[in-house]
Amino acid sequence: MSQTKRFKQGVSIFLVLTLAIGMFSGCGGSAQTPPSSAAPGSSSPAPQSKVADVQQQAQSSDDFDWKQYEGATVKVSFVQHTVADAIVSKLPEFTEKTGIQVEYSITPEASYFDKLSTSLSSRSGDPDLFMSGAYQLWDYSTAGFVEDLGNFLGDASKITSDYDFEDIVPSAVAALRWNGIPGYPVGEGAQLALPLAFEIYSLAYNTRAFAENNLEVPKTYEDLLKVCDALQGWNGPGSYAIALRGARDWGTIHPGYMSTYANFGAVDFAQQDDKLVSMVNSPEAIAMTEFWVELIKRGGSSSWSNYTWYEAGADLGAGKAAMMFDADNNGIHQNWDGASQEAGNIAWTVMPVAKEGDTPNSNYWTWAMAMNSASKNKDAAWMFLMYFTSKEFAHYASVDMNSLDPARTSVWDSDAFKSKMAKQPGYIETYNATIDSTTILFTPQPYFFETTTEWAATLQDIVAGQYGSVKEGMNALKAKIDKAVSDIDLSAYY
Amino acid sequence: MPKLNVSHPDINYNEVPKNIRMRPYYIIAPGLLILIGILIPFVTAIFLSLTNYSFRLPHWKLIGLKNWIDTLTDPSFYHALWVTIKYAVFSTGTQMILGTVIALLLRKDTRYSRILKVLFTFPLMVAPAIAVLIWQLMTSNSIGVLEKLLNVFGVFGFPWASSHSTAMFTAVLIDTWVNTPFILLLVLAGLQSLPKSPFEAAEVDGASRWFIFKTLTLPMLKPFLYIALLFRLMASLQEFGIIYALTKGGPGDTLMNISLTGYMTAFQYQRLGSALPYLLVLWTIVNISAKFLVKRQRKLAKQAQGY
Amino acid sequence: MSQQTQLLDSSQNRKTMLILEDFGRNLGLTFYALFALFPLVWMVICSLKADAEMYNTVFVFTPTLDNYKAVLLGTDYFKAFFQNLVVSGGAVLLTVVAGVPAAYALARYDFKKKEDVAFQILSFKFAPEIMVILPVFLIFQKIGLYDTYFGLIWVYQLITMPLLIWVVRGYFEDISVEVEQAAQLDGYRWFDVFFKTLVPLIKPGLVASGLLAFIFAWNSFTFPLVLSGFNIQTITITSLRYIASDTVHYGQVAVAALIAVLPEITARLFIQKHLVRGLSFGAVKG
Repeated sequence: MSQTKRFKQGVSIFLVLTLAIGMFSGCGGSAQTPPSSAAPGSSSPAPQSKVADVQQQAQSSDDFDWKQYEGATVKVSFVQHTVADAIVSKLPEFTEKTGIQVEYSITPEASYFDKLSTSLSSRSGDPDLFMSGAYQLWDYSTAGFVEDLGNFLGDASKITSDYDFEDIVPSAVAALRWNGIPGYPVGEGAQLALPLAFEIYSLAYNTRAFAENNLEVPKTYEDLLKVCDALQGWNGPGSYAIALRGARDWGTIHPGYMSTYANFGAVDFAQQDDKLVSMVNSPEAIAMTEFWVELIKRGGSSSWSNYTWYEAGADLGAGKAAMMFDADNNGIHQNWDGASQEAGNIAWTVMPVAKEGDTPNSNYWTWAMAMNSASKNKDAAWMFLMYFTSKEFAHYASVDMNSLDPARTSVWDSDAFKSKMAKQPGYIETYNATIDSTTILFTPQPYFFETTTEWAATLQDIVAGQYGSVKEGMNALKAKIDKAVSDIDLSAYY
Repeated sequence: MPKLNVSHPDINYNEVPKNIRMRPYYIIAPGLLILIGILIPFVTAIFLSLTNYSFRLPHWKLIGLKNWIDTLTDPSFYHALWVTIKYAVFSTGTQMILGTVIALLLRKDTRYSRILKVLFTFPLMVAPAIAVLIWQLMTSNSIGVLEKLLNVFGVFGFPWASSHSTAMFTAVLIDTWVNTPFILLLVLAGLQSLPKSPFEAAEVDGASRWFIFKTLTLPMLKPFLYIALLFRLMASLQEFGIIYALTKGGPGDTLMNISLTGYMTAFQYQRLGSALPYLLVLWTIVNISAKFLVKRQRKLAKQAQGY
Repeated sequence: MSQQTQLLDSSQNRKTMLILEDFGRNLGLTFYALFALFPLVWMVICSLKADAEMYNTVFVFTPTLDNYKAVLLGTDYFKAFFQNLVVSGGAVLLTVVAGVPAAYALARYDFKKKEDVAFQILSFKFAPEIMVILPVFLIFQKIGLYDTYFGLIWVYQLITMPLLIWVVRGYFEDISVEVEQAAQLDGYRWFDVFFKTLVPLIKPGLVASGLLAFIFAWNSFTFPLVLSGFNIQTITITSLRYIASDTVHYGQVAVAALIAVLPEITARLFIQKHLVRGLSFGAVKG
């Protein structure tokens, strides 16, 4: 009897001990790490012109000591993307040039950020570098997980004179800067990442569909709805007018929806006292959402609420959708020779606006590379970053490996790229007509995932008629978003 | 040599030498140690549910029962609970009935049934996330093969996972496709273990098929059915993979069960502390219902041995 | 005379009944077979279709092996395949080595709280993975088990061990104590008795539950997603990667998924004669 008792005691002591070790070494660790460099209020070194000065003092690529971190190992998290394929194919060359070993993981997009959030939160330093978009970096930098790359861009000993920072598309660089203050627009503060590729939003359409039905490519919202009526069932049963994203995640909100939202004059947040307040039930926002719901009902797929970017793209390529309002590079991959049924028939135009001549404001998405502030190999990681954001690599990634849209102006201007894109009618023209009015249209705040997921869910409910009116749905959404951002206290920043 | 004490339950422990008395613990120790190592996270989870732990906060602190109160006063918690129960009942129920019926149909030993017994287990081997992908491709309205099939029957644009009214049906359908073989295997095992004599006796007495099924087959199968029910019900109460891959809980909040709500809160919204009450409630529900089923099953199994 | 016709009639009826029954049964089985097998057939078909034909063709198309080439030659698919084999195989092995003795103890000995311990072990199978994964992740980072074979094999015990203990325990309970005692009287030590007498008797249950454990481990998604990635890749996550980088490649996913089920199907055919029988004793009496 006493034996079993002692055994039991032993077990419970063991349990408590291991628990204690687990708790304090495993989870309490976070208490020791102060938020790192890119935290709110940190200085903002190296705007673009300053980097140019720094570059002048720096050594040329030939003199630069690429081998100074020989033997180091850098860990990189990639999402499954063409630019990741391009980088992976060049890793042997990178290792040969620098002596730095690279370990990497590639994760499918649907699970990528969940995995990344977990890894970063451990503060173990793994991964040293990770792919991200600007929105996610608002979350991560608020937590202090992101290194300010200004520390490297502003240091003549760490950069080569021919890196040509100004060549990186300026609006993409600006989209990845933020000073960490919720509600404060991007473009100032820490450089959270450098762009690898980006996308803007435009209307892709099937020229055959428009020619066969004697239709004009729509330029205004009104035209768009009319064309939708004409194109339902244009290519046999199951075919429809316009492919849009509708899945229950942030991806549904940021492309066409957010761009049009801004074009209606709506904003997502306003600042009231020390709080961010959701504006999704403003008259503009309601009018816009009413239009959007109308668009889905009159022209969208009946499985709209399951659509992510690749279902939308696949339908355009298969000749099921006659148009797609989505990322400009989405349709491109359907249009290469032999890539899909409708390859060769797809063309691009600027997104519809209220009336002809209005500025097409487009939202921005960048796939960028950011550095973990807990990394133990920051200098070696910077080498990687500099190498794979270089002109040469950008050229290779876009021209040879189909990574789009290129983040460097020199690639857009190169003949090789232009001739490659000659088979994509309207793509470059649309880009040129849109890029100057392209910026991040979301208000930066650290609850991006939560607010946009709720937004997408509410949109699904509205389209399905679960609310009496769009207004009712947007009112309910406002309450949810306000609750999500309720613990932001702006007085802490001023 | 040590005597096994199973046949002498009233043996006095203190008369047995120590090394033998402790033997059960030695033998079970490796297995238990491995599992206890994994038990730590459970206790950690309970502790963290009392904190404001979040990936994005540099510091965490104890906040008492706030997470629990927030959860239990949130209407979306009760919605999630309702979805969880509805999904579990539908999917487990469908699979139990289908699995049992197919097992009974396979009972007669023909060449056809022997081949089918092997083939029918194949869907169980497909990872749920991949299974969803196959079904998404087949059920797509514009490009799916099932749409073309339904068109033949005059049905156009069946909405599958994209509509509030059919999303649950679609998820259950995929779940059924993957997991019915599990039940099928167990019921086949049960049928094989049935003694022959009571059935022969009943047939000689001219009892009807239905009567034999009701009074002999079903009661004797019960322990097997309980095991199948136990494993499937517990799994479907916390179904995550199929629903997440299919609609991420949509459309709207149609399929947001407790697992999904907890996962989204913890991993996407990065508020682990507020997610844990959801998951701990789920764990409690699962544990209590499992305990009930296990007790019933052990009792039935002992009765069944009496036949 | 009339009696004879009646007899004839009833035997005639019986015959029609039997034919009808056969027909009905085969019809039911065929319907289920369509439901269970068509998606797999469809997967094979998709694996042979080029992207351009994926959406516009049903059964008539020009088959191509491009998807196979792209997956097998163009990527590190095989690396993930073998790493998955190591992790899943290792997990099943550890489960057997540690689980069988535990099952034995739970079947043979009466000790305090036995039923509670048995239930607790089983209940691990029913714990929400999502709940344990974050603490496990934090601890693994601390003690260096993150992204290691052993770390994954250990955490897989949560999904592999409970079922095996449960089934095998039923087998041990079914073996009469006299078998062991007889062997002991012959002068065998307990250890020898265990391996020479008992293990052969539990074999069907062991292989059947071993197979199910292997399937659970092989298809696991959440644990390897969070707990590995740089050194170790597993097959489910890798298969999903083929969906999309530029466009959606259902054909390549189909190839990856088809090759991923091969080890399971091979194992299943190997233990064909044990599978159903193996679950028949253990599962119930456990």
